[in-house]
Formats: sequence, C-alpha cells, structure tokens
Amino acid sequence: MDDGRAFARRLLPWMVPALILASWEYTARTGMLSTCVLPEPWAVVKAAWHLTQTGELWSNLGVSAGRAFAGLVVGGGLGLALGLFTGLSRRAEIALDTTVQMLRNIPPLALIPLVILWFGIDEGAKLFLVALGVFFPVYLNTFHGIRSVDRGLIEMARSYGLTRWGLYREVILPGAMPSILVGLRYAMGLMWVLLIVAETVSASSGIGYMTMNAREFLQTDVVLVGVLTYALLGKLADVAARKLERLCLRWHPSYQ
Amino acid sequence: MASVISVSWPAPRGVGGAAVSLRKLEKRFAGRKVLRALSLEVARGLFVCIVGRSGCGKTTLLRIVAGLESLDDGEISVSSASGSSAGACDVRLMFQDARLLPWKSVADNVRLGMSKAALPAAIAALQAVGLEDRAADWPAALSGGQRQRVALARALVHRPQLLLLDEPLGALDALTRIEMHALLERLWLESGFTTLLVTHDVQEAVALADRIIVIDEGTIVFDEAVNLRRPRIRASREFAAVEQSVLREVLRTRAPL
Repeated sequence: MDDGRAFARRLLPWMVPALILASWEYTARTGMLSTCVLPEPWAVVKAAWHLTQTGELWSNLGVSAGRAFAGLVVGGGLGLALGLFTGLSRRAEIALDTTVQMLRNIPPLALIPLVILWFGIDEGAKLFLVALGVFFPVYLNTFHGIRSVDRGLIEMARSYGLTRWGLYREVILPGAMPSILVGLRYAMGLMWVLLIVAETVSASSGIGYMTMNAREFLQTDVVLVGVLTYALLGKLADVAARKLERLCLRWHPSYQ
Repeated sequence: MASVISVSWPAPRGVGGAAVSLRKLEKRFAGRKVLRALSLEVARGLFVCIVGRSGCGKTTLLRIVAGLESLDDGEISVSSASGSSAGACDVRLMFQDARLLPWKSVADNVRLGMSKAALPAAIAALQAVGLEDRAADWPAALSGGQRQRVALARALVHRPQLLLLDEPLGALDALTRIEMHALLERLWLESGFTTLLVTHDVQEAVALADRIIVIDEGTIVFDEAVNLRRPRIRASREFAAVEQSVLREVLRTRAPL
C-alpha cells in the first residue's frame, strides 16, 4: 500500500502536463483549435522526427550551440578578467566601475539597430550580442565575489606568509568561486535568450532561422519544434552549470 | 592568608622559546588611546596569560606583537632562541575563530603557505592534536573544537618560538575547553615555545599561566607569577585562591562604557 502511495506521489507532478497535453490533442483533433494557431502534439513529434531524419535539426542545433558558446567564452572571459581586475585593485575599480555600471543598464537588445549597422547580419552580430549580454552578470558576480571574501581569512593567510600570487590563488579566487559560478549560471540562461533574438532578427542558419523560416510557410509544427529545442538547450545549459558547481564547490557544506 | 603568588618568576623551562620585549607601546584608534605606554618583558619559554575585560586593549596588544597592527609609538623586539631577532616565521597567531580555508582539506589547511613536501610535517602536527584521521576531510565536517585543534596544528607545524593565542577557546563549550587546556599545556611543555594567551576567562589563565597579567585601559594593572604545580587541579584550594585574587583584580577594573 505504501508502494502505491509513493507511486502516486511520483505521478502527481505530471498530472497537470498530461492533462494539458491530452486536452490539446483532443481540441486539435476535433478541429476546435486551428492548426494555424497550434498543431496537434502528435504533429509536432512527427515534425521533430522528420527534421532529425533529414539532419536539418542537428545542423541548425550545432550552429546555434556554437554561436552561444562562442559568445559565452568571449563575453564571460572578458567579464571574468575585468571583474578580477577591478575586484583586486581599488584603483581599477575607481577608474572602471562607474563606466561598467552605466553600460550595464543598457539592455543589449536595445543595441540591435546599431549592431546591424556595425556587423551587418553576419556571425559577428550574434557573437557580439551574446557576448555583451553574458559579460555583465559574469563581471558583476566576479567583482562582488572577490570583494566579499572573508577579510579574516585574508588576514590569516597573510600572517601565515602567503604573498600576492599565493594569496590570490589559494584564498581570494576560491573564496570568490561560488559567486562567480552564480554569475556563470545566470549568464548561461541569458545566453540563449539573446541568441534566440539575434537569430530571429536575421540569420541563414540556426534554430532561430529554422523557426522563422517555418513561420513563412505556416509550418507551426516546426516552429514548435524550435521552441521546444530552446527549452531543452536551456535545461541542458543549466544542468551543465550545476555539474560545474558541484565539481568546483565540493568543499561547500551544501554540496556534502 | 599565605599567598601562593610569589614575586619571583619561575625558571623558564624551554630553551626553544623567543624572548619578547615591549617598550612603551602606544596605540590609538580614531583618537581613542587603546594602549598607553605599555611595557612588558617576557622570558623565553614562559606561558603568559593576559586577562582583561573586552575592550581593554589586550587583543590589540597581541595583534601588534603579531605584526597585524601598526604601532603609533614604542618598540617591540622578539629575539629567537639563537639570540638573533626572530623572523615572521617564528611567530604564529591563533585567532578567536579557527579561520580554516573551507576549500582546502584539513591537511592542506595545516600546510598552508608551505610546499607539498611539508605534507608529512602537517600530518605529524595533526597527530599531535589527535586529528590525523581527519586529514582528508573538509573543515566543514569538523566540530568547533576540532577546527580550533586544526588551527593549532597549523600554527605548530611552523615550529614557532612564540605562539600568540587570541582567545582561541572562547567559543568552545566548557568540556572541550578543558580538553584544549590540557592539549595546549602538553604541546607547550614538549616544544618549549613562549606563549602569550589573551583571555577573559580567569580560570583558564590560572590553569595555564606561569604569569598572569591584567590589562585595564591600555596599561598593565596586575602582574604576578603563578607557582602552582602542573598539571593543575581546578578543585584544589591553592588554585581557588589564585583564581580569587586575579578575579578580584579584574573586577576592580572599570567596565568600558
């Protein structure tokens, strides 16, 4: 009887999605829901199958993922470097932080007209948008992480003879790591949002292109495949970030 | 009442300890005088307890000796056993909180600032505090008393000639504290380093000290040797008499506003 109850509890969270899916399928089949608005779930599955069979989904997925991670590496790397710089040096903070804080408040998407003028509709435009978007969360969390390292630990390490480089490597950087990883995780979420917008504005490949192209031909099933792919990619990025946290913060009480 | 406190200092035991000489130390924080012309000579290998109310300047004194605070006026000299002026390596400070790096294993915490080759020495130091089987654990897995024992091992692995203790047992429960007293006493007797222990616990001072100093408003107001045989028995009448006389001195000092 206990087994049955446990099984019911496991099943409960999936009740609402299953109900929604069932009523969606039903309304689509009976014609209450036009396929121009929303295709039936089964059609979406078939479209996804078809796209994987032709290889279209994989090639577009590869292009999108490549863009996203290139942007993350460029923007995140710069954010990390600048955050370390301003976090470790008061002078650098005074010189640069005000500027960064001002720029931070500009939504990256507001720059789309400029970006198109600068880079055209090339790869550069997408890379720039993603890199710009992920730069700020990584920068802010790196800076904040370094500044919030326990002063007592730094004092202790100094009195135990750790010099500049040793102090950074053994105390300041590991101390800032939880905050840096929060920034990275946030940046990974933002990375997809920006990429979607960039690919939707203009592209000749990628998931965004695939969905926009499908819209032209009223292929709502393909559009939905694209949307669901984004959801899946976002989830994958989040899982990867979590794995990284678990790896880097093994010492943290919340991971033991 | 026959006083068990004599005026003559007991003969220093160890030869490995540093001698400390403080002359007319002055320290101000934001205009407020924390230390006023404080002078103190500590012989090699002595265990000295500095007692006082919170805010009397005792922690500042210790931090100045450790080189963590600058001095407004006065002179400090710490001369090592070989007679030369002691380097920073010969002086180690243990803080009120353990201050272990949570991202390093216990053994790596102990050998902080040393090369990988120092690992056997770190394990040996952990053995001395009875924690060698926790060497691979994270500090988060340890209890408060165990963390302070790791911090003690970290201080001792450098074989200091002067050990400075800034109320390291203040946050521990009474039982753990008594165990730590015995551990500290044993390690001190074995190694012969000079020890300055800052505390507001008079019983702790009487249990451990060769010499007790009471500080009030930045100056020394009481300075006596304690000639009780070790290990000291807290229940003994002599112990109680010393404790009473020191406590009276501390209570006479004014509480800071």
